[in-house]
Amino acid sequence: MSRTIYKIAEYVLTFFFIITLNFFLPRFMPGDPFTFLSSDAGDVTVTCSQAQIDRYKSYYGLDLPLKDQYLHYIGNLFTGDIGYSIYYNDDVVRIIGNRACWTVMLVVVSLILSGIIGTIIGSLSAWFRGRLFDRAAYLFLVGFSEIPAFLTGLVLLFVGGAWLGWFPLSGGIRPFTEFSSVISRTADIIHHAILPVLAMVLTRLGDFYLLSRSSMLTVLSRDYMRTAKGKGLSKPRILFGHALRNAAIPVVTRLFLSLGTIFGGAVLVENVFNYPGIGRLMREAVMVRDYVLIQGIFIFVALSVLSMNLIADILIRKMDPRIG
Amino acid sequence: MNAARISLAIILLVTAAGIFSQWVAVHPHNLPSGNALEAPSPNHWLGTDDLGIDLWAQICHGAGVSVLVGVSAALLAGIGGSLIGMLAGYLGGIADRITMRMTDMMIILPDLPTMIVLGAFFGPGLINIILVLALFSWTGTARIIRSRILSMKQEQYIAAAQSYGAGFVHLAKTHFIPGVLPIALASIIRLTGRAIVAEASLSFLGLGDPTSKSWGLILNHAINFKGIYFMDCWKWWIMSPLVAILILVGAFAILARENETSAVSAFQK
Repeated sequence: MSRTIYKIAEYVLTFFFIITLNFFLPRFMPGDPFTFLSSDAGDVTVTCSQAQIDRYKSYYGLDLPLKDQYLHYIGNLFTGDIGYSIYYNDDVVRIIGNRACWTVMLVVVSLILSGIIGTIIGSLSAWFRGRLFDRAAYLFLVGFSEIPAFLTGLVLLFVGGAWLGWFPLSGGIRPFTEFSSVISRTADIIHHAILPVLAMVLTRLGDFYLLSRSSMLTVLSRDYMRTAKGKGLSKPRILFGHALRNAAIPVVTRLFLSLGTIFGGAVLVENVFNYPGIGRLMREAVMVRDYVLIQGIFIFVALSVLSMNLIADILIRKMDPRIG
Repeated sequence: MNAARISLAIILLVTAAGIFSQWVAVHPHNLPSGNALEAPSPNHWLGTDDLGIDLWAQICHGAGVSVLVGVSAALLAGIGGSLIGMLAGYLGGIADRITMRMTDMMIILPDLPTMIVLGAFFGPGLINIILVLALFSWTGTARIIRSRILSMKQEQYIAAAQSYGAGFVHLAKTHFIPGVLPIALASIIRLTGRAIVAEASLSFLGLGDPTSKSWGLILNHAINFKGIYFMDCWKWWIMSPLVAILILVGAFAILARENETSAVSAFQK
């Protein structure tokens, strides 16, 4: 129990590190918002007088000592006030909320798919160890796992979308369309999501495959597997009924732990497919230098990855009492 | 072992193409030398982009940028991480605990979003990219080296050397560095491949150095070109930098894998 508390303390510490980093980054940068305002885009020059600068500095609380600014920032954060986007003229939390569901859908679907498919191929591979199927699957999946998802996505987009015309080129749903029913709407969303999900699944698959294959190889060499064979049980029943149940534990925890990596992959893949999620929002915010929005997205991503890691940590302890 | 040699040869070839890009490619990499969007021909081996700039020249020039960024970020992270790992393992106690908690935190942090934020705030530029990449990849090396040092500290020859009054610098020079060199080398090879991918990702998002055109930046320009989906030009404009990244990253991945297997089998003998 004390280990769990220790673990949670570590996560809280990491979270504070992240928000502190988030606070200090813009303040360490050379220049301040007013030099940016004064010379925007080169041709339009807005010059602020010293009195105006002082007024805005006190309006935004930038003339307070750093300590007070920091406390103010933490206080706002915990009341759910991350800030107001300069470019979109909207509350940062609301903008992120509008986009988050797309990214969460992509990430969750591709994680679950790659977990399931990877485990099935991995178990079959362990069962047929050394045969052609094993070797082919190993080469194919491990090879794909070395390719970053956005490159796979680019190939899929241009071959499947632009060349063959089977899939839409961009977006998450067909714009300006009235859908006659929920089913056709869902079908359209799925149609748009197939290629991005496929790109991410192909990249993640190798990881789950290797994990479940090695875990299955260990399980298959155990005595209770020989017992199951001796009882004359059918092969599928031995493989999926007895062995898989034991081999799946590391796969489940890896599902949660790989969330950070797959988030990074999703940021890139969304930009390849112009998918309306957090990743594209992040790039748009970077392009228009909307620092408040960038920081808000960063906090959102960090917080969700941290909480998933914490859940994974607790789950491992619950499922396997040997890890204390 | 054969696969390792072939991939090493590929890496050296790409590096050479990057260093001698002015002579490998006939056309300049920053000036138009033909019509816009020409298909590959004997004159323009990989065709041209929307400004009529030869793509083969751009790929050769970009090879230099990719290898430079990848190798320097990996060297920085590998050497820095090894030093930190050695110190943490040698000193133990509070210093060790603090470093390990720091690596824990860095591992949990989602690296690409953090790199985007850092890149956005510190501005584009090769040095900044190298620093950000190094900052995010030293942890793994530090952990491996630390655990190796911990097991080395149990050996009797270390205790003997210490009893003669050997300090950290002497121990590091005569025992630690030769002992961890194979592991450090293996992780530097791994890191190089990952740094090349990370650089390509950042510049694909438009966060790279706009003045040094890397492969990711060529992809960024191509995908932002209006009409790229409806013309044939993607077949050379998108595919050539993409295949270039794949070849280089694949070569590094195979080299790392072969290196690790040979290290493990040498260890088991």
